[in-house]
Amino acid sequence: MKKLLQIELIKTLNNSTFKIILILHFLLFLLLVYVSTRIDLSVPGFSTQKMFMFPNVWPLFTWYASWFNLLFLGIIIIILTGNEFSFKTSRLMITNGLSRNEFLLGKGILILLISAWGLILIFLAGSVTGFIFTEDFSLIIFFENTYILLVYFVQAIAYMCLALLFSTIFKNNALSIMIYLLYFIMIEPIFRLFLPKLVRPYFPVKVISGLTPVPEFLSLASDKTFISTNGQSQLDFESMGILPEAIPLHTSLILSVLYISLFVIASWYIVKKKDL
Amino acid sequence: MSEILKITGLTKKYGSLFAIDDLSLNIDKGDVFGILGPNGSGKTTTLSIVTGIIHATRGSFLWFGEKPHPSSYQRIGSLIETPNFYPYLSLYQNLHIVSKIKETPSKDINHVLGLTNLLARKHSQFITLSLGMKQRLGIAAAMLGNPEVLVLDEPTNGLDPEGFAEVRELILQEASAGKTIILASHVLDEVEKVCSHVAILKKGKILTSGKVHELLYKDDLIKITTKKSDELYEALIRGGWTKTIEKEENEIRLTLNSDKTPGALNEFAFKNGFILDKIEVLKQSLESQFLEIVK
Repeated sequence: MKKLLQIELIKTLNNSTFKIILILHFLLFLLLVYVSTRIDLSVPGFSTQKMFMFPNVWPLFTWYASWFNLLFLGIIIIILTGNEFSFKTSRLMITNGLSRNEFLLGKGILILLISAWGLILIFLAGSVTGFIFTEDFSLIIFFENTYILLVYFVQAIAYMCLALLFSTIFKNNALSIMIYLLYFIMIEPIFRLFLPKLVRPYFPVKVISGLTPVPEFLSLASDKTFISTNGQSQLDFESMGILPEAIPLHTSLILSVLYISLFVIASWYIVKKKDL
Repeated sequence: MSEILKITGLTKKYGSLFAIDDLSLNIDKGDVFGILGPNGSGKTTTLSIVTGIIHATRGSFLWFGEKPHPSSYQRIGSLIETPNFYPYLSLYQNLHIVSKIKETPSKDINHVLGLTNLLARKHSQFITLSLGMKQRLGIAAAMLGNPEVLVLDEPTNGLDPEGFAEVRELILQEASAGKTIILASHVLDEVEKVCSHVAILKKGKILTSGKVHELLYKDDLIKITTKKSDELYEALIRGGWTKTIEKEENEIRLTLNSDKTPGALNEFAFKNGFILDKIEVLKQSLESQFLEIVK
């Protein structure tokens, strides 16, 4: 593991494309956070600034970050894996004594590292923003909803494992990125339309993106007077038809882990069986 | 002699095309083994299979008497087809990755860069190198960790005459240190000057194999023209005269078995009633012999 980590670090930390994408990821995320916190729409009982208080900040920032997972982190993995095939350095790895399993495991380590990077970024941005906007700080409200960070971590892994699969299938960066994005934006959504409503929520994109759903902005931005005594939002956007029906989070998590396993097994099978 | 590589019935098919077909080969410790053949004869495919890059359709191979395992490849240095490195990394960083995989000390990197005259460029990006330098880096990577076996596919590709001579010298040096070297080439001169053994491939099949001096220097080609070529052809085969023989219209082209001479052949033909219109003994150049074999 240590050997694989060292090898992946030499390859990635000296890769300018990787560094540029990661810096862009960092800057754009912070810019989004900064710009959104500067917007202050307030009416009695409602203020957008409340979205940045603990614990509201966690679902909001993980939702922000989920778009970056799709756009930046997935693409990073496609580029780093695709390079191994286009530069034919996968051959260098194998002929010098790395097994095909280790080759893929190296990419797995990279996925974990990049997911951890995303997690740390949200945690730091969320903590700082939350401290600034929360008036009555307590550890209880700080940690409330932080489970969503782990959910985000799973989501980042899932996006990147799907990216890994596309990269091992197509072995070409441009084609893999195009198909990866099209799959999210068009292919799966269109395909879902032709299937019964009952099975639609169980497709990979639906399940994975559903891990960090669109926050209920109105609920997050509302005063506590708008929340019922049992803590539930009185504004039920699903019943209002504003939000699509979602499957329960724990089901999404289990399905996401299953999809991650499926993507990894499929990538492993391709790397194992195909000529390099 | 202990066996380093044993290939048995190796076959690789791409669709209906056989890149290699039922290829078997044994390479012993200390051999400098050339795999010689024209372009498309299956040299690179063979080496790609035995180095784990591609899968065989059929057949098997053993490295060091065992089924291949990633740890076997740590004992082998290889350069297959073209040198494949990360273009954005420096020479040192690329070799650092190789040394990590092979679990060899990174101090060896400077040593192999020195041997291949690349030490001055160790901090240059791979992408900035000339073709010849890239090839030399491929050789440096193969030599990293002092492997027992070197598998080199067209190692002098892109090198100028000076580079060619340097690489040849390097291979001979490694061979004299007792290493086993497997060298694929279509350059006869390269094989002639470096190899102790050779296998000649054509269309994925081994046409012949053995010691270089026996295969490429021994036999003169004899051309006979006679009106009774069919009968003579049969008689020569029956009499066990020839090592190789083929017939085209009235002309028979053959190489004699080692215990036979052209004079004896002439006498045999005369005594058996064959009138030879022409008999020619051609001292074969290395090139003509090779072309004759792969024809």
